[in-house]
Amino acid sequence: MPKAVLIGLDGATFTILDPLMERGVMPFLRHFAQRGVRAKLRSVIPALTPPAWTSLMTGKRPGQHGVFDFFQRDSVDSDFVRLADSRDIGSATIWSLASDHGKRVIALNFPVTFPAPAVDGCIVPGGWMPWRQLRLGCHPPGLFDRLRALPSFSPRELALDMALEEKAIEGCASEEYADWVSLHTRREQRWLDILRYLMQTEPADLIGIMFDGVDKLHHLCWRFIDPAFQVARPSAWEQQISQLCERYFRQLDAAIAEIVDLAGPGATVVLASDHGGGPASDVFFVNAWLEQQGFLAWVADTAPTRKSGGSADQSPRLGMGQIARHVYELDWERTVAYAATPSSLGIHIVDRSLGGANGAGSESYRQIQRRLIDGLRALRHPVTGRPVVEAVHTRDEVFAGPFESLAPDLTLSLADGGAVSILRSDTLLSRRREVAGNHRPEGIFLASGPGIRRGASLPDLSIVDVAPLLLYSAEVPVPDDMTGRFPDEVFEPAALHERPVRTATGQGTLPRDGAGVPEPHLEADDEAAVMARLRALGYVD
Amino acid sequence: MTWQSEAQVRDELLDMMSQLAGDWEYGDPITPETRLLGDVGLESLDLVVLGTSIQQRYGRLPFAEFLAEIGQRPVQDRDVSVQELVSFVCRHSGLTAPTRAR
Repeated sequence: MPKAVLIGLDGATFTILDPLMERGVMPFLRHFAQRGVRAKLRSVIPALTPPAWTSLMTGKRPGQHGVFDFFQRDSVDSDFVRLADSRDIGSATIWSLASDHGKRVIALNFPVTFPAPAVDGCIVPGGWMPWRQLRLGCHPPGLFDRLRALPSFSPRELALDMALEEKAIEGCASEEYADWVSLHTRREQRWLDILRYLMQTEPADLIGIMFDGVDKLHHLCWRFIDPAFQVARPSAWEQQISQLCERYFRQLDAAIAEIVDLAGPGATVVLASDHGGGPASDVFFVNAWLEQQGFLAWVADTAPTRKSGGSADQSPRLGMGQIARHVYELDWERTVAYAATPSSLGIHIVDRSLGGANGAGSESYRQIQRRLIDGLRALRHPVTGRPVVEAVHTRDEVFAGPFESLAPDLTLSLADGGAVSILRSDTLLSRRREVAGNHRPEGIFLASGPGIRRGASLPDLSIVDVAPLLLYSAEVPVPDDMTGRFPDEVFEPAALHERPVRTATGQGTLPRDGAGVPEPHLEADDEAAVMARLRALGYVD
Repeated sequence: MTWQSEAQVRDELLDMMSQLAGDWEYGDPITPETRLLGDVGLESLDLVVLGTSIQQRYGRLPFAEFLAEIGQRPVQDRDVSVQELVSFVCRHSGLTAPTRAR
């Protein structure tokens, strides 16, 4: 039987879960919370799936583990953006630490676990793992073929379909909603079927599974699941989507109940999310603002993606599929600062010392940084008059660590949890036609098991505190270089007295595979051409 | 890295692609001439992740530049065969790339 089980609920927030528990849609979760502890779980900056889950798995912040976004700069001196993968994690994870101490592990559907580390146990990666190559992601060799024998096994519905992924962020037609929600309901069931099979055939000490449909439903269907947005007279279609969302959460509750039952009474079970969620309508065109302020220039022949006065049904797009635009659409002779991806909420300041004709030298960096911060803080919403940007975080404030230099120079927190678009636009702010869900820093933490307090509601925990707790529960020493602290308050004092926390010397920063290996020589113009060609291939849009 | 002949690399990649193609219910045999986009139906993101897997096996390779070179071709030739992949791996595996300078 496992000693510790992590049930990840991507994007889960008590704002949604509490009403579902009160209405009886999630009766087991209510029971689980009553018999254990609950707390809000503070995410990292940015509150984004890849860096946040990596922080939960390492007990360290992004500057210390090296994952900042879905995408990754290839190196400090590169504007080249590629998908982040497990080779970018420069720290030990709970999976590798447990395995190194003789424990077996199972990890299902967590992001940034491809290529799978060589642990003693089973890993099926999640995140941006294309379904066509799920076989290559499964560890150990042969696992994929064993899973394929399961009646419900369907790589196409388990792993990434990029077209579906984009719908969560960019929206979709109303006739697509029902199938989209139902797909995520089936998908969670398929992951549960894999976990059940592995728990029965591959006994492990530390087990984790991540259900990512929660976040997906938040993004697209917030107005159907938050009671605050219920309409008095819903249409038949609105009722149908609301019922499908409710069915998703009923099934999720049953899945959690089954996992807790399979784990048995001797296991510590932790439910955690990487970040929370909340409603958001505004979209801030950050590169348009940078252009307006004279920090950014587009090449002459690129037309605005969005124009003011467009058709009423035109909902603003964020540009998730267009992450490389900054390379081939920007005039690098006249650009000082730019946003590369909408997900990171980050702004990069061009470093002149690395070859840019413009940009910041060491003497002007602080001045440019100051002007950007002051300008962003002064920006007001044209309708409400309130600040658009709630906070601007500098790199050294939030990303201190060995990988700090790979992070954006500035990271934004928008006032209403709104989204950023990186696309060219002649308006700075736009409003979505329908309210959508977007990330918030406050996720969830629930735990129950031997020695854990019962019925306690605790002050906020940090996401980096979860790894020490899980390692302790799995009877693995806690490395002394984790940023997260061991959360004593989760346990009865007598339990900790009886079995104190063991610590071990941490492994520090691990070499990232490929890091430090020089890339072939590419001048800036060549690199722009490379990305333009990738666009032609369809690698980037 | 252990040196391998082109025939060994070809056999390994054919084996890997054949296994993957079986998962997609692709009926035809995978040969050196099989094109990954046109014949097998891979998407561009698949190529990126396939590159990660290949680099896991053969070490760091200039895969992005390889994709870029493919993208530069005329539309009708914008594809990559298994043999091209083999040649690319053999050409670059084990090479020391020059220092990057910008």
